[in-house]
Amino acid sequence: MKEIFVSVFGKPFGIVLFQLLEATQFTIYLSLFAFFGGGAIGIVIALLRIYPSQKSRIGAVAYIWLFQSVPLLMLLFLFGLGIPRLFGQNVDPWIAAIGALTLYTSAYLADVWRGSIETVPKGQWEGARALGFGFFKTLQLVIAPQAIRNTLAPTVGFMVQIIKGTSLAFIIGFHDLMSVGKRWANAPVNGTEPFVIFPLMALIYFCLCFPLSAFSKQLERKFGSVSKQDLPTAV
Amino acid sequence: MELRFFEIYRSPEYLLLLAEGILTSAVLTISAGTIGFVLATLLASARHHSWPVLGQLSATFIEFIRNTPLIVQLFFVAFGLPLLLGYQWAFWAHALLALIINFSAYFAEIMRSGFLSVPIGQLEAAKTLGVPSFIAFWKILLPQAIATMYPSLSSQFIFLFLTTGVIAEIGVRDLTFAGLFIDSRSFRSFEVFFTLTILYIMMALSFKGILRLVFIKKFSWWSAP
Repeated sequence: MKEIFVSVFGKPFGIVLFQLLEATQFTIYLSLFAFFGGGAIGIVIALLRIYPSQKSRIGAVAYIWLFQSVPLLMLLFLFGLGIPRLFGQNVDPWIAAIGALTLYTSAYLADVWRGSIETVPKGQWEGARALGFGFFKTLQLVIAPQAIRNTLAPTVGFMVQIIKGTSLAFIIGFHDLMSVGKRWANAPVNGTEPFVIFPLMALIYFCLCFPLSAFSKQLERKFGSVSKQDLPTAV
Repeated sequence: MELRFFEIYRSPEYLLLLAEGILTSAVLTISAGTIGFVLATLLASARHHSWPVLGQLSATFIEFIRNTPLIVQLFFVAFGLPLLLGYQWAFWAHALLALIINFSAYFAEIMRSGFLSVPIGQLEAAKTLGVPSFIAFWKILLPQAIATMYPSLSSQFIFLFLTTGVIAEIGVRDLTFAGLFIDSRSFRSFEVFFTLTILYIMMALSFKGILRLVFIKKFSWWSAP
């Protein structure tokens, strides 16, 4: 694979391009972990948020507020440097990066899904209750099928935020597109100047993100979206 | 495991660094937000009025910036451009330029929907009354677009503020930089970044309050349709 790149693009540039693209896979893996991990926690938090119990609701509101207000960079520092030092234990950059991005993702997705569930009229809950359905039965059979449509666009749109967020993980020693690109930009090799490498990296990130943004916009046109004013509700 | 917050707050040197960092972060974010907003208005109106070439250019710019990470833009502005064009600025100036570029794209996307939300009939009426198009833009279109989009603009501003910590990576002495410095001296990483998190949240809350006050003062005429 590397030889093909070298023969097509020449000596330094072929190697650089190959290494950047090879490192991009870790950016993608990290994004997927964060998305599915954050999604799983997000569902639980969204359910706690709408569950008819004061305690669970307050807990979920606090969780969402907290992790939407904490800067992602601080989450990464706390997971990658703070917690290892506090417990005198080494933490793998993979674990730290996944942990930080998962919490970051979960708060946002929980808020989107909560917002969407709340757009379903109250009468639907009451109707299902009158028919003798419990909380989860109602959610599964009545509410979720109606609520899911307008969560699609913001959920896909948030994947762009996650991919862009992974670019910060190099700060705690995670090996990805960002860290490889930065190393090349610092290397005193002709043809890998910062004004070549960074636009190239931007282009790779753009190729990952733009299809998702475009898809999200298409979904929004087709299925609508949770009210824009409720979204990025940091703080 | 032992928490030693006092190592931070008992040292006047660290407290001074943190205060300096808060000030730098706040000044840079507010400047970038203000200049970025002006630029965003131009970008959005180029798109809204579909000016030839400029309209497409601003659409491309907005999409490209919104779909790439801030840190890559920052490194390009701080290390790539100076080498390419042969100039040398202070760290903070590079950071400010990168933040303006970044903020303007996000604000422009919001302002575009703001312009679309103003009923076309109002501008047609202004035209019929012989109001010059610039005055119509300045007095009719822009104020209503900002007022409609104010909640989105202010939450986007706060969202962007929370990402500005990356400018420490190019050596700007902002709040994150102060944290990293104290961490390298004291090795109390958890306490340092916990403190930083609290400070960031408090700053974000203050921004939110200030933005709210500005809205009450400047947009008291506005009633949501």
